[in-house]
Amino acid sequence: MVARVFRALALILFGLSVAKAQSDIPILSGGAGFLSTTQGDNTFFQPVVAPVLVVPLGENWLIESRADLRGFISRENGTTGPYQGRFFGTLEYLQLDYNANSHLTITAGRFLTPFGIFNERISAIWINKLQDAPVIAAIGTAGGYSDGFMLRGALISNDRYAVNYTAYFSTLSNVTKFESERTTGGRVGVYIPRIGLEVGTSYQRKLQDQRTNSFGTHLSWTPSGLPLEIKGEWAHSLGGYGYWIQGGYRLSQLGGANSAIGRLEPVFRMQQFSRSRHITGDSLPSTNIRRPEFGLNYYLPYEVRLNASYGRQFVSQFTDINVWEFGITYRFLFPLWPGESK
Amino acid sequence: MRHKIFVAVVLTCLWSVFAVAVAQTNAKRSQNNSKSKPIGATTRSQSDGEKRFQTNCGRCHNAPEAISPQEARAVVRHMRVRAMLSAEDEKLILEFLAP
Repeated sequence: MVARVFRALALILFGLSVAKAQSDIPILSGGAGFLSTTQGDNTFFQPVVAPVLVVPLGENWLIESRADLRGFISRENGTTGPYQGRFFGTLEYLQLDYNANSHLTITAGRFLTPFGIFNERISAIWINKLQDAPVIAAIGTAGGYSDGFMLRGALISNDRYAVNYTAYFSTLSNVTKFESERTTGGRVGVYIPRIGLEVGTSYQRKLQDQRTNSFGTHLSWTPSGLPLEIKGEWAHSLGGYGYWIQGGYRLSQLGGANSAIGRLEPVFRMQQFSRSRHITGDSLPSTNIRRPEFGLNYYLPYEVRLNASYGRQFVSQFTDINVWEFGITYRFLFPLWPGESK
Repeated sequence: MRHKIFVAVVLTCLWSVFAVAVAQTNAKRSQNNSKSKPIGATTRSQSDGEKRFQTNCGRCHNAPEAISPQEARAVVRHMRVRAMLSAEDEKLILEFLAP
């Protein structure tokens, strides 16, 4: 374990030293935030820092990594007692990329499992319009992270349409902080720029324990000329199936994106999950869930965003709870050292 | 009493995040004032780049408020992998972010 972490650090340091000799400087980017959630009578707080390290190596190689450093502060007995905190650190990806040509990138290492659009594209805290992940996010992602290799890229990209793809193989790993499952899968998406619509489908096959399949479809619609964004996913696995659909409308048409009202973005998300059968450790809810949510984001200057949301979670016919979330996030971007002026 | 202390700590954290954000962005703006330009389209390739940015990157997030050319190169390299950009998309988006 120590040797693997040491090797990973050595690889990063080597990359940094090589990169320093080049014109492309490494950067430290990512998000930081302070999130609060109240579910029923339980309130908890999460200070989060999620740094992203990007180290270009020459024209075609790249090392990139993201960690999630998160505190979890809650009352000792759930609803009573003093607040106490725990700390969690997760290495979300640490990967070496090689841009083989215009249409193919080869990736090796630990990466975000490409299934649907949430995990790879909008899970970063400064991007996600609502704080928490959809309840179906665990379908097809094998815990969110995979250790192995991946091929990805844009098969076709022109003004009329673009086709993107990923295909990967992940190995079983029980190493602390590098856990992953033995799986294989991929995703294909078709994007039509004229109408701003992307639709795609994902597949994953687990190659251990019960050899199960997961399927999913996704859509993303950003009509041109409107500050509207609609995203959604449907996913199915042996343990259950469900969907989420989310819409956000930035009020930038009222006085511009930097006006007081134009910085506001109402958000709505509806999600539902149906449990088919109990699968131990599949990270999905144990019962059926339905949850509509309304949120308001406010984009302050200096890459700071405030967000607030209310949702009502229906767990069964007779049980439902309120979910309140408030947070502040900050998106940062630093050069790791000054680069040469071009 | 414990609640008040807790609220004070939370407010301090929030204020710290905002203060760091302001300080960092101001420093970056002044540091890069001479070499970075506002993100915007003035030429044909920038216009194409803006279009590519909106269709590829802008579907998920906003453009950064300020970015130097060196930072932009690293960011676009990163986004080429994340957003599965073609080499042409990468080139045009870089011209838009760092003209």
